[in-house]
Amino acid sequence: MTVDVSKIYLLDVATGASVEAELRDAIEQAQLDDWQTKWRPALLTVLQELARRGVPIDQWPQSWHWDWTQKTTRVQGLLAFRGFSVVALGETQGLAQVDLTKTGREANQRGKPLVYVDYLEAAPWNRPELGAAPRLRGVGSALITAAIALSEDEGFKGRLGLHSLPQADDYYRKIGMTDLGQDVAYQNLRYFEMTSEQARAFFEQEGER
Amino acid sequence: MTAKRTMTLNLTDAEMRVLDELSARKDITKTAVLRQALRLYQTIDARVEKGEKLLFENDATKEKAELMLL
Repeated sequence: MTVDVSKIYLLDVATGASVEAELRDAIEQAQLDDWQTKWRPALLTVLQELARRGVPIDQWPQSWHWDWTQKTTRVQGLLAFRGFSVVALGETQGLAQVDLTKTGREANQRGKPLVYVDYLEAAPWNRPELGAAPRLRGVGSALITAAIALSEDEGFKGRLGLHSLPQADDYYRKIGMTDLGQDVAYQNLRYFEMTSEQARAFFEQEGER
Repeated sequence: MTAKRTMTLNLTDAEMRVLDELSARKDITKTAVLRQALRLYQTIDARVEKGEKLLFENDATKEKAELMLL
């Protein structure tokens, strides 16, 4: 399989400098190796610290149990699922997996195909909610941008849907997605959707940065 | 963007009508309808091959019906 690679830029939070990065339209073995050998130990250190400080488990990073090897193996070879990764400074900075079989729920796009973001995660060292200052900023936006671009490319006109982990609810509201409320059929997570118009607005906003 | 290849597709009038109707109702191109159909068929087939069943549930009555795939 040929992997499409686009050049993007992230922000180095410490220096304020732009960092060149690759947005790849696949999750390959190198990314899974990074997840196993770099992300997991970094996350484990954070979890140990949270446990030591007696932080209740419901305040831990809510994706702490995600297993990217399992997630990618489960959908290998299936056209309905696609992966994206962001690579910078020689290591994987973010991963996302999307599903192309879902349809919209929002009144204006009910029943119409969209790109559903199954999983999206930035590397532990890029996540402000994990305590330390993030190293790189823009990883999540880059992955959302890739999902919207895929939606356009597939003829879904930028439509996007996802269930958000509570720690990310504000982010999805901030980028203009419609909050369709808690989904009792999906662990009570809030369901968000982006319409074609919201996708256009998102692109315009990203272009201004 | 992933490279794509072109093929000619022969459809009956009835099939073309369905394709037109789905394209309009789903707000996607006819090509997108066919690509979507291929994805769904492959996904369902993979799960049926693993021994799973495809069931439809009526939201109101909760009645379930199994779709038989050949």
